[in-house]
Amino acid sequence: MESIWNNLGIGFVECFKLQAVTMAGITLTLPFNIIMCLIGVLLGTLIGVLPGIGPVATIAMLLPVTFTLSPVGALIMLAGIYYGAQYGGSTTAILVNIPGESSSVVTCLDGYQMARQGRAGPALATAALGSFFAGCVSTLIVAMFAPPLAEVALKFGPAEYFSLMVLGLVSAVVLAHGSLIKAIAMVILGLLLGLVGTDVNSGVLRFAFGISELADGIGFVTVAMGMFGICEIIGNLEQKEHREVFTSKVGRLMPSKEDFRRMIGPVMRGTALGSALGILPGGGALLASFGAYTLEKKISKYSHEFGKGAIEGVAAPESANNAGAQTSFIPLLTLGIPSNAVMALMIGAMMIQGIAPGPQVMTERPQLFWGMITSMWIGNLMLVVLNLPLIGMWIKLLTVPYRILFPSILIFMAVGVFSISNQPFDCFLMSLFGLLGFICVKLGCEPAPLILGFILGPLMEENLRRAMLLSRGDPFVFFSPSKPISLGFLIASAILLVIIALPSLRAKREEAFAAEDT
Amino acid sequence: MKIKNPQDFWAGLMFMAFGLFFVIVALLFYQMGSAVRMGPAYFPVVLGGLLVFLGAIVFARSFMSQLGAEVTAVKLPFNIIDLVVAVGVFVAMTYLAKALGISNDYAMLASALIVSVLSVVYRPESKALVLILASSLAFAYLLKPLGLVFASAALIFISAYGGHEFKWKEVAWLTLVLVVFSVLVFVKGLTLPFPICPDFIENCPIR
Repeated sequence: MESIWNNLGIGFVECFKLQAVTMAGITLTLPFNIIMCLIGVLLGTLIGVLPGIGPVATIAMLLPVTFTLSPVGALIMLAGIYYGAQYGGSTTAILVNIPGESSSVVTCLDGYQMARQGRAGPALATAALGSFFAGCVSTLIVAMFAPPLAEVALKFGPAEYFSLMVLGLVSAVVLAHGSLIKAIAMVILGLLLGLVGTDVNSGVLRFAFGISELADGIGFVTVAMGMFGICEIIGNLEQKEHREVFTSKVGRLMPSKEDFRRMIGPVMRGTALGSALGILPGGGALLASFGAYTLEKKISKYSHEFGKGAIEGVAAPESANNAGAQTSFIPLLTLGIPSNAVMALMIGAMMIQGIAPGPQVMTERPQLFWGMITSMWIGNLMLVVLNLPLIGMWIKLLTVPYRILFPSILIFMAVGVFSISNQPFDCFLMSLFGLLGFICVKLGCEPAPLILGFILGPLMEENLRRAMLLSRGDPFVFFSPSKPISLGFLIASAILLVIIALPSLRAKREEAFAAEDT
Repeated sequence: MKIKNPQDFWAGLMFMAFGLFFVIVALLFYQMGSAVRMGPAYFPVVLGGLLVFLGAIVFARSFMSQLGAEVTAVKLPFNIIDLVVAVGVFVAMTYLAKALGISNDYAMLASALIVSVLSVVYRPESKALVLILASSLAFAYLLKPLGLVFASAALIFISAYGGHEFKWKEVAWLTLVLVVFSVLVFVKGLTLPFPICPDFIENCPIR
């Protein structure tokens, strides 16, 4: 226990460290990391509030910018965007009945009803306080569980890594909408697209067709922006714009004593469930909020009030999504495996900074590791302190029409993608992936599994080759009892696949996604 | 045989096409190797084969009725012929540029322009899709010759035209604000190596 406090101490020192930074010719000495944290959470809240732009597109946009920052500052800012978006998303959900963020879909159900009853203030405060509590707890969880996990992971060989990635991809499939086979096919398509470029083992240029820009492979940012950013804009433009902001009166912010009493249980359970679901590969904020809402509806003694403005229906999912957002950093920081698209982008950010993600990060760069974890707690504090007074400003932002927003988003994306290698070709690829993403969505195939496959493709091939080389071509190396960890991962993947193929669970899964679509 | 689920029909075809593409290219150009020492073709061939297999299942499934599965029509704002025409325009322009000995950048700009005009005239329902894609192409290929100011203006005007409402005044103001912002933040602040003004204007007031 003591070592945790020591480690968090290292983090605090790193966060508040004074740094001399030269920007546009002016040198300033400031606690730079904490400023990046503030920028990150503010930006996160902003995009969380605005429907139609999510953390994936925002982080992808900012990746090229992080080039100019220090590694710690860059990662702290990007992490802030992710959990900040969870706070912002609930504001829109409660006031407009549109999820600002996909993970606040369920918050709409009861949050908006509370707003209609004139209790928007307490709903917003509940969401913020619940998120803050969850943020504090999950920061501690990350600090406690990351070091032992990283230690285990240091012993992983290529076989274990390969099996772990299989598990990660299977989980991504489970969480995708609609047809299972299509989701698996999207993962494989992603894996294949990830192979474009120079083969590390033989130096052969694969699938490049004489296009010199493809020698280094297709940029992850390019794919993410195309499949998420561009695709989202086109999708939004296809629908008629309608947005009614429920701003008549936010009312008094503080929840009553009765509210507090009813909040405690759901917040605790939401945090616990969210933290657990966040750690799972393929998990994260979205799954956490759904799970928490369903659980609360089942066990609450006010379950008849759900959907009619029950405070539990706001408290539980809002704590869960924040907890899930934060614990999903655990697989990233300890294993170097992304559990969702945002984490895949964080890997991209680490690589830009020349850091190989994996269990060695914690021992080799303790400042970075602990600085980032501590910043999450500080960021949560900032969010709760800043957001409630700033709520009026966020509401104003909601009145900005989409026809102003989307060209602005588009220009940021184009500048971001162009600046990766200063070649127009990347923008061309972005458009191409925008088209592919659009077609895939129309054909009922979700882009998220493709992105995960894309980032894991080269890693998987590398580890598969190494494992096969070490075992002299024996494919049983992955299942042999001498490698219990690898075997365990594969068994877990198989169980997951079988479970979701079962008819009864399949119906449940479809039901959950149907609820999300409405 | 009647197609019961058009979504699955086209998705299956798409997956099979992608899978076949990767398998054939890998087999033709790269070494297979053995399971012990895998060549560059090994992993793509295995994955591509798997993709063809899954695509075939999805494809076959589209002819069978599924209980409880919701059948949704594919609502793409273009058909397969439109897609072929668009690709054809890009290919033709690329060859034309090669024959004329000019930069391929102009071919891309010309193709984007032609496809945009075709879309606005003949397929108004695909306007949003095509103009959004075209606007980022216009930005990319105009940035080096014309500079950030004009490239951004092109992006904003083209993409805004793809939206529901297009108000000249509003778009002009938006352009002004975004251009000033981009120049200050991206070029001055983050020092991205973008030209601000066109090459041919000498003594540009802002550099």
